[in-house]
Amino acid sequence: MHGVRTPAAAGVFILAAALLAGCAAPQVSGLIEKRPAGLPEAAEIAATPFFPQQDYQCGPASLAAVLVHAGRDATPESLLPQVYLPARKGSLQAEMLAATRRHQLVAYPLAPRMEDLLRELAAGTPVLVLQNLALDWWPQWHYAVAIGYDLGRREMVLRSGVTRRLTMPLDTFEHTWARSGHWAVAALPPDRLPAIASESSYLTAVAALERLAPAAARRGYETALARWPRSLAAQIGLGNASYALRDLPGAAAAYLRATSDHPGSADAWNNLAQALHEQGSRAQALAAARHAVSLGGPRLPAYRETLDGILRAP
Amino acid sequence: MTGRVRRVVAGLLIVCMGGLSAPLPALAGIVSTDTAVVGAERERLASLLERSEVQERLLVLGVDPANARARVAALSDAEAAQLAAQLDELPAGGDILVAAVLIFLVLLVTDMMGYTKIFPFTRSAR
Repeated sequence: MHGVRTPAAAGVFILAAALLAGCAAPQVSGLIEKRPAGLPEAAEIAATPFFPQQDYQCGPASLAAVLVHAGRDATPESLLPQVYLPARKGSLQAEMLAATRRHQLVAYPLAPRMEDLLRELAAGTPVLVLQNLALDWWPQWHYAVAIGYDLGRREMVLRSGVTRRLTMPLDTFEHTWARSGHWAVAALPPDRLPAIASESSYLTAVAALERLAPAAARRGYETALARWPRSLAAQIGLGNASYALRDLPGAAAAYLRATSDHPGSADAWNNLAQALHEQGSRAQALAAARHAVSLGGPRLPAYRETLDGILRAP
Repeated sequence: MTGRVRRVVAGLLIVCMGGLSAPLPALAGIVSTDTAVVGAERERLASLLERSEVQERLLVLGVDPANARARVAALSDAEAAQLAAQLDELPAGGDILVAAVLIFLVLLVTDMMGYTKIFPFTRSAR
């Protein structure tokens, strides 16, 4: 650099020279010092589609890549009306999740751990990430798709902006990713669990899908039950999604399983009562509803309403 | 569309908000999964108000009414609450280019340190 005249700029460069050696990122350093068992040294999902971003539209472009990889029909243009905010020239994280769900996919936010992100890539799922490429006090927010990594070369591989295959030092990636609060999301078909799945995060993600796409959510609950067979949330969710699809026998079976595994769950008894009632099993429905009321809890008024509904019915 | 017209349209939409929660199936007597999973039930009315607020903000930010409606409907209760409370402070990923000279220098240096990644031509220390 020639012609750096102002003291401020010179100071910045001296500071930089002093710090140049010391910019390794904490999580990456840990992973490289001691590679976790079963994590491959390198992985890349070369088949991830690429949509070069137009204008400020890294959100729609990145989202389209993960949706298409998950087998859905999408283009940046088709996603513009779902996630782009013209006056902000960008896309909000919550809307990226919502648009993923609109494509019948589970939008699973990863834990803020580099290891989880790398394991997801090693398992073959490209991951949508938000980076702040600049500084906390001068942010430049950017969505990209992480598609691979190489611990030996200490590199992250991304579909980013107008670059089909961007490699970035893993440490730089971690710094830019940490400044977004480590935001990373996997868009998963409902029959596929994330590589590192937390029961509560996964079920929260499936429950958010239930209101939009009960059939996809029902599949997601089944997937959860295969992994966590006694999960109360998954059992009730399976019942609720079946109920929403008007599959009353399926709903009752799921609630019954919940009451047998978790006899203290008043919610399960209440929902079982409603499903039985609508199937015409009045006596069993009454017994279940009374049991829910006797267990009580914060939603006791709702249980009473269910019981009244059954008693009032002809 | 002028601000006033837009406000009237937004007002009308809010009036019509009764239909907004339509994607929620009518679950008479059923405790929702959200409630069972999270354990905390969001007040239904509060959630409706939050959703109408978010929808109005989306209109102001240039989203057309039909799309705004569908977008709000796709949010979970928790997301709607978050957007209602702080939409303007939340990051909107989209690459706003920075240009000021001092910022340029700072970012050049931090890029070289591998702390930021703004310029394609920088190569970080690692």
